[in-house]
Amino acid sequence: MQLEFFVYPFLFLGLYFQVFLLVTFLSTPTRERRERTASIATPKVAIIVPCWNEQDTIGGTVKSLLALDYPKDKLEIILVNDGSKDNTKEVMDSYIDNPQITVLHKENGGKHTAINAGIELAKDAIFVGCLDADSFVAPDALREIVSCFDDPQVSAATPAMSVHNPRSLLERMQNAEYIFGIAVRHVLSAVNGIYVTPGPFSFYRMSVIREVGGFRHAHQAEDMEMALRMQRAGYLIENAPRARVYTKVPRTIKTLVKQRTRWTTGFLRNVTQEYRDLVGNPKYGILGLMVLPLGFVAVIGGVALFLLAIAMIIREIVRTYLITNGIPLSYTLMPHFTLEGFYLSITFVTLLSFITGAASVAFIIIGKRVSDTPGELTLGIIGYALVTGLIAPFWLMRSLSDLVTNTKRKWR
Amino acid sequence: MKSLATRNAVLALVITLLIIGSVVYAVNYLDRQRVAELSAIQNQLATDTLSVETQFALLETAACEDISEGNTLSQEVSNLGEKLANAEGRLGATDEQVIQLKNQYTLLEIRDYLLTKRLAEACNFKPTVALYFYSNVPGACTDCDRASYALSYLHDQNPNLRVYSFDYNLNLGALKTLIAVEKVKPEFPAFVIEGKRTYGFTTIDEFKTAFPKDFFASSTATTTKNQ
Repeated sequence: MQLEFFVYPFLFLGLYFQVFLLVTFLSTPTRERRERTASIATPKVAIIVPCWNEQDTIGGTVKSLLALDYPKDKLEIILVNDGSKDNTKEVMDSYIDNPQITVLHKENGGKHTAINAGIELAKDAIFVGCLDADSFVAPDALREIVSCFDDPQVSAATPAMSVHNPRSLLERMQNAEYIFGIAVRHVLSAVNGIYVTPGPFSFYRMSVIREVGGFRHAHQAEDMEMALRMQRAGYLIENAPRARVYTKVPRTIKTLVKQRTRWTTGFLRNVTQEYRDLVGNPKYGILGLMVLPLGFVAVIGGVALFLLAIAMIIREIVRTYLITNGIPLSYTLMPHFTLEGFYLSITFVTLLSFITGAASVAFIIIGKRVSDTPGELTLGIIGYALVTGLIAPFWLMRSLSDLVTNTKRKWR
Repeated sequence: MKSLATRNAVLALVITLLIIGSVVYAVNYLDRQRVAELSAIQNQLATDTLSVETQFALLETAACEDISEGNTLSQEVSNLGEKLANAEGRLGATDEQVIQLKNQYTLLEIRDYLLTKRLAEACNFKPTVALYFYSNVPGACTDCDRASYALSYLHDQNPNLRVYSFDYNLNLGALKTLIAVEKVKPEFPAFVIEGKRTYGFTTIDEFKTAFPKDFFASSTATTTKNQ
């Protein structure tokens, strides 16, 4: 049996998911979400900014929140210092005189405890949101988010995240990936398939938080756990595709792998332990039957295909060595390709991979258009297409290993 | 919301299957186009070979310079062989069209080989010819890939080397006759070089000894220099 056959099921599932996204994108409910206008109503909201050693970015985050197009008496900003060891406390205290801002310092207890402490202070808010202290919002983002809550069954709303001022190839690559995520969340919201309410600027209905309880440690994936808990309780999670929020991303491969390992391990632990009953359960619709199972498949497939590719490359190197052994390198290394169309390698796998790749690029473009996210994407898309596949297997393998060996890692 | 999801899931499945079906059809169509291209080249070469043979028969030994295109033909036969090997790799050695083309190609090779011999005798030149017999039966020839690569390298070093490759197990009368005439045993890889039979492939240096002395001399010097 050829090794190539192992690729087929993953290619099929990848293509199927993308076609599903495309079909859903073109359907009326998704179009209606795109056409939804920003809210005129201004219910009382509170935004919690949990901070741990964020002295350099907290100022910019608060500045962007203060610039939100929202009545000042309806918007409360709660800064929670979760036992920072740098100058975060001093920076926060400089806002004490601002009547819109509440500052709270507490012992370090983890991000979920900081958010819960903020929720305790936001007693009269109808909606409560979170914003990581390394993120910045567009002025109209809050009105876009609030408009998602017109349906009383909606318990949470997610924003359109992209990377703040991407410069390096790694940042641009992540920007393309985040914008791909904008399109995916926009589409999945139409079929209630969202399984994570990301830290930067997701909002929750306060009454639902009171009903289902506050944030939990949840294997360092408190935003994912809260989304799954709300889904289990039968609520809807919406998306505001034009609620733009810009976040800082890892600048080195090492920190990127660490961050993604945390996310992936959090997903795997939550879904295999506390929320196993959601997986494959028709009661939870697309989330249970497609999104969560395919999340698993993506992790397993990513690792399997990477190992398969390594095995095939090693096999080819050994084979080439054995065949060319004794022949001068000057001949072996000489390019022997021809531009003749006859030799063009168009196989089932290459053609299908091209189609799925093209669909991914299409979704990045869709994400950019739907969210009106500014900036140039070409280099990011090229990096995303060429580099992600080489790095992702490392955090996927690390996550699987952590899951199996029950290894706990620090947040940073 | 659930009915929308179900409808879209089913619709997506249908579209996915249609895309996969189209991809399978397209790949298959392209492969068949390649085979058709091979067939067309093969027919053209067969006509050209027949033309040279006829020309040779008409002129006998009178005008060797007039039939010098025999060299060009051999090169085209060689190129055709490479394309056929590529098609065999894609479609598999058991594909009926591939077998049919291989049969025709083998006949073409044998005719080219015979024509080369006749031209050599008539026009008084001495070509260096290597008949190479391989087997596609799994496990029957572990060194055939090495031997093929070595022959390609040697042909690159000296384009005057004429290599004729034959699938030993091909069910073709003319090939069986050639095997019988050259007394080639089913041990692979098998070579007939300068009328002498050799079996197996160890190293390129040892393999070179089967060829006339100095045949690769100038190129060897260049190669050493390059290394």
